[in-house]
Amino acid sequence: MGDNNVNLPPGFRFYPTDEELVVHFLHRKATLLPCHPDVIPDLGLYPYDPWQLDGKALAEGNKWYFYSRTTQNRMTSNGYWKAMGIEEPVISSSGNNVGVKKSFVFCVGDAPSGIKTNWTMQEYGLSDSAASSTSTTRSSKRRGHSKIDYSKWVICRVYERNEDDDGGAELSCLDEVFLSLDDLDEISLPN
Amino acid sequence: MPENMSISVNGQSQVPPGFRFHPTEEELLQYYLRKKVSYEKIDLDVIRDVDLNKLEPWDIQEVCKIGTTPQNDWYFFSHKDKKYPTGTRTNRATAAGFWKATGRDKVIHSNCRRIGMRKTLVFYKGRAPHGLKSDWIMHEYRLDDNISTDTNIISNGMGEASQEEGWVVCRIFKKKNYHKTLDSPVSTGETRSQMFDSCNGGAALEQILEYMGNGSKEEKEGKRSGRFLRQIDTGVKNGYHETFMKLPSLESPSSTSCQNYYQPINPDHHMITENEGLAGYQMESSSSSAALTNWAALDRLVASQLNGQTGFSDPTMPYGPTDHHHQLQFPTLRSSSSISSSNGSYHPTRQDYNTEIDLWSFAQSSSDQLCHVPNAPV
Repeated sequence: MGDNNVNLPPGFRFYPTDEELVVHFLHRKATLLPCHPDVIPDLGLYPYDPWQLDGKALAEGNKWYFYSRTTQNRMTSNGYWKAMGIEEPVISSSGNNVGVKKSFVFCVGDAPSGIKTNWTMQEYGLSDSAASSTSTTRSSKRRGHSKIDYSKWVICRVYERNEDDDGGAELSCLDEVFLSLDDLDEISLPN
Repeated sequence: MPENMSISVNGQSQVPPGFRFHPTEEELLQYYLRKKVSYEKIDLDVIRDVDLNKLEPWDIQEVCKIGTTPQNDWYFFSHKDKKYPTGTRTNRATAAGFWKATGRDKVIHSNCRRIGMRKTLVFYKGRAPHGLKSDWIMHEYRLDDNISTDTNIISNGMGEASQEEGWVVCRIFKKKNYHKTLDSPVSTGETRSQMFDSCNGGAALEQILEYMGNGSKEEKEGKRSGRFLRQIDTGVKNGYHETFMKLPSLESPSSTSCQNYYQPINPDHHMITENEGLAGYQMESSSSSAALTNWAALDRLVASQLNGQTGFSDPTMPYGPTDHHHQLQFPTLRSSSSISSSNGSYHPTRQDYNTEIDLWSFAQSSSDQLCHVPNAPV
């Protein structure tokens, strides 16, 4: 585990945006810049089943974060991560395409006949343009070892999909129903 | 610099990248509000005091921002003042509009112990009763010191008075728009069922049905269609609404339902789960505006219907007298990071489960009522 020395008051949690994950954590990691706080551990080509991540990856709520590398097949001891074929660009607040987010589902058993689980992974990688722009800005300084393959680093976020756990930040279904009942009240009551 | 680790808030510096103020309801009540009411110093000034009468919701987000990271919700302390010196209602009007309570208050638990209540309010632009509903929602949390001593008794009169004064901690956010707000009563029913489906893609309904288990075979067949909700809607549209309105008004919560409400583990009361929701609802209606009158009436109708149904007192029913908090113990995931106090994040989930069950029993009994209308005593 990295430098996990974040001393924040109760209520602060690691809830990074896609942009923060890519721009702050992944980009800095890939360009060998120091990450502060260095909270996300590097698990390499992690061979762990998702339920083994606790204690190894950065855990927040029901989500786990770690650095890894791109690979063609993500095998673990009891299964494999299957690509869901969903690739979304990560757009920065300034409108740049900074990365790509791919989704995987964990299957238990041997590929390709494994059984799907609720475990989901989002893999954040740098987009080619982001990587090349980095290499140009950094290459002047680091010409000596400029052969860093930026595309190899990824950040993974693993979680078990279930009913949304929003800590009450959104409206519950019941609240929504009550809200629409309020509409009905106003319609049927003249006052 | 982004790598600046100092996190003084509100202007001077910022929270490290990736971190957000996302307190659990338990943290809000047990740490922040408890310190506030006991005048203890809170290390960081993350939750500011806001005079709710002076600030519009869109101004609050400016005042209450934490660092420079984008936020979806904003937190503040507010001191509730009575609307009138002699009354019990809280004044929540601003220059541009007012906050209006909706639904019923939710009990907040910590380790199965009741620690406080959450009120949900909606911001309306303009002046009552002609306000225009906005997407701004407020959750107002208050400590429940009457209950904290593990007594099952809450004095209704006293509790009501004390809950309308003193410090509360609030969260405001903009409601995600699943649907456009509709003005015509004809489309209201459709909106509601759409909305129900849009919550977790109908998963909530499925959960409820699963939880009901073998108690409701017939309902299982119809679970995808959401037809039970529609049945209520149809009933309301066809004029049952008026029938409810004609019921004698009942100002105070009935003594029986209150008893059940505060003795939820007593095995002699098989009706507890049903009444728990209804009693809470009645309390709300007695303390808030007349706009809820017709739904309080509906509650009473449902309650009377339930009381006449033997099927609901079957002790083998899965939602019987046993304590939900033990049955529904979700696996608690433990954070291994050094970020402080990560436990308790599952309590809201469990709570939602409870309220959904309430909703279901509410919906089911109502639909029974409406299905068998020719025989119904109404």
